[in-house]
Amino acid sequence: MPDRAEPLLSVRNLKKYFPIRRGVFSRIAAYVKAVDDIGFDINKGETFGLVGESGCGKTTAGRAILRLIEPDAGTIRFDGVNLLQLRKHELRRKRRDMQLIFQDPYASLNPRMTIRSIVGEPFAIHRLAGGLEREHRVADLLNIVGLDPAMMNRYPHEFSGGQRQRIGIARALALKPKLIVADEPVSALDVSIQAQIINLLADLQQQFGLTYLFISHAIPVIEHISTRIGVMYLGKLVEVGTSAQICLAPKHPYTQALLSAVPTPDPAAKKRRIVLRGEVPTPINPPSGCRFHTRCPIAVERCKTEEPPLRQIEAGRDVSCHLV
Amino acid sequence: MTSVLEVKNLKTYFFTEEGIIKAVDDVSFNVPKGTALGLVGESGCGKTVTAMSITRLISAPGRIVGGEILFNGYDLLSKSEKEMRQVRGAQIAMVFQEPMTALNPVLQVGFQIAETVLAHQNVSKREAWARAVEAMRAVSIPDAENRAKDYPHRLSGGMRQRIMIAMALVCHPALIIADEPTTAIDVTIQAQILELLDSLREQYQLSLILISHDLGVVAEVAETVAVMYAGKIVEIGPVMDIFHNPKHPYTEGLLRSVPRLGSSAQKRDRLEVIEGMVPNLLRLPDGCSFAPRCYKRTLECTLSPIPLEHVSRSHGARCIHA
Ligand SMILES: Nc1ncnc2c1ncn2[C@@H]1O[C@H](COP(=O)(O)OP(=O)(O)OP(=O)(O)O)[C@@H](O)[C@H]1O
Ligand code: SF4
Ligand SMILES: [Mg+2]
Repeated sequence: MPDRAEPLLSVRNLKKYFPIRRGVFSRIAAYVKAVDDIGFDINKGETFGLVGESGCGKTTAGRAILRLIEPDAGTIRFDGVNLLQLRKHELRRKRRDMQLIFQDPYASLNPRMTIRSIVGEPFAIHRLAGGLEREHRVADLLNIVGLDPAMMNRYPHEFSGGQRQRIGIARALALKPKLIVADEPVSALDVSIQAQIINLLADLQQQFGLTYLFISHAIPVIEHISTRIGVMYLGKLVEVGTSAQICLAPKHPYTQALLSAVPTPDPAAKKRRIVLRGEVPTPINPPSGCRFHTRCPIAVERCKTEEPPLRQIEAGRDVSCHLV
Repeated sequence: MTSVLEVKNLKTYFFTEEGIIKAVDDVSFNVPKGTALGLVGESGCGKTVTAMSITRLISAPGRIVGGEILFNGYDLLSKSEKEMRQVRGAQIAMVFQEPMTALNPVLQVGFQIAETVLAHQNVSKREAWARAVEAMRAVSIPDAENRAKDYPHRLSGGMRQRIMIAMALVCHPALIIADEPTTAIDVTIQAQILELLDSLREQYQLSLILISHDLGVVAEVAETVAVMYAGKIVEIGPVMDIFHNPKHPYTEGLLRSVPRLGSSAQKRDRLEVIEGMVPNLLRLPDGCSFAPRCYKRTLECTLSPIPLEHVSRSHGARCIHA
């Protein structure tokens, strides 16, 4: 990419293997290859959607990028520096610029803390605004996410799921981050509340020039919110492209099957569904060659032995499939 | 068409310390033989309590306080608990969202299915086992003879859900109530399970109540759709009418607020939303429960309860401005 501005986040060859220990000596018996050599760029101000089914490694990827878990290999260039080369205290400073929003607004807020201390916590941790100034900032943040600052002294259990997600978002915004990793931020919410939170995230992006890594299994949500999308299967990216490329004209057979499986809220829609055989194999011993070959409707001999690299097949779209 | 199930003015309340929760409040619907009714609505609107009321599995502080539940013409509410045990599992079977909690972890899955047979039919253990394996084949579990000897934890979520469906099917019930059967399951596996339910329905002339918060799932499976809000059915009708010609502002709003696949063809920045939040059942407003969030609200809406009225022969809505 010659005359393009440098991406805000640039991930290369990221790997995270979890050891599985067995026996009396807790020997490492195998590895779960949760994230196995993935890479993508996210430009400033855009939303990159990471989509895939449970266990495909999307949450691990998000956490590894923030170094909330230590990656085993790769580079993560964020805002000009490789995060994997930072020391603890340097990383701590950098963390202000990268925040996480969780799936479960119930579990991620400390039930014994008031909203004031939850949203103000980042200031306390980084010894920033104190006293009255902190209180003003917290009030501002609550306003921004559509909550009444008068509720500042209440506890999480007094709020609904959607409100709690707003509280989580307010906290994530406290230190004016550049990047927000949102891991299934609306999956636990009711349908009518999901739309409110999705809109809030879009408004905040506009207002503060935020960049999102949006992780979800919900494909229509990902399509709506993302500029570009990466589709993961068993620890690998199988296809990356713009929202329209991925969702209107998917090229990888897994992406095609995944999209065709999404139920449409339209009883008149004529569907040509590709029902995949079998189940997702375990990432402990992923299939040889192309990891998707055991379920792929068009697999040929070569797919069993030779791993297809992720390669560009047209402007903006990468696919890893021998037959595309 | 004769109805397998007729629910008339069902009321199930929970008598809690904080007050009376009218979890199901005047709910009526029919399930004609061989058809599927989809029950949709957001969390806490009363879908599960409706299902549990039909099978009479409501326990204190909950109580069915009114209505009729006619199953093949017989009123289930006047049956004794002993009679109900014969109905449950054999004539009306349930499939739940989380199969792991419904299965016993220390028993082979085949044995658990066979137990259902033994509880309802006078057959030998061998025969019960054979029927269990047969039911597992019917739900497309490969290598059913051997899988029957597996314990639940050895099976994937999708396989466990198939086991639950096999267990529901094994006594050839007239009605299956599936409460969010695919909510905990990946979308490609969900597609398999939905196809399976569809083919079983044809094969066994099954009637189905499918409970889901996913409008897409309901649109694909159901012939009739009932939309619940705060304990009441606010709209009911043929699936086409509900999805293409919704009359209740809540249904309308729900359909507009879900992001749809293919939306990147005409990218919009914002979704349309229903403002506000789902009401607390302990503090329902007078008049229409949806009024605080409704764009069509007028003073009239807030005065007295709104009846469910016909908007066409087979389509009803609980809204005075429908
Ligand atoms: N044992 C109970 N005691 C008190 N209230 C109850 C009890 N069980 C259910 N309720 C209340 O009844 C209402 C309806 O609950 P129900 O479980 O039927 O909702 P639902 O539509 O199935 O929701 P979900 O989509 O979350 O499964 C809720 O407000 C709930 O709090
Ligand atoms: S009765 Fe009134 S408030 Fe209720 S849905 Fe209809 S228009 Fe809205
Ligand atoms: Mg429920």
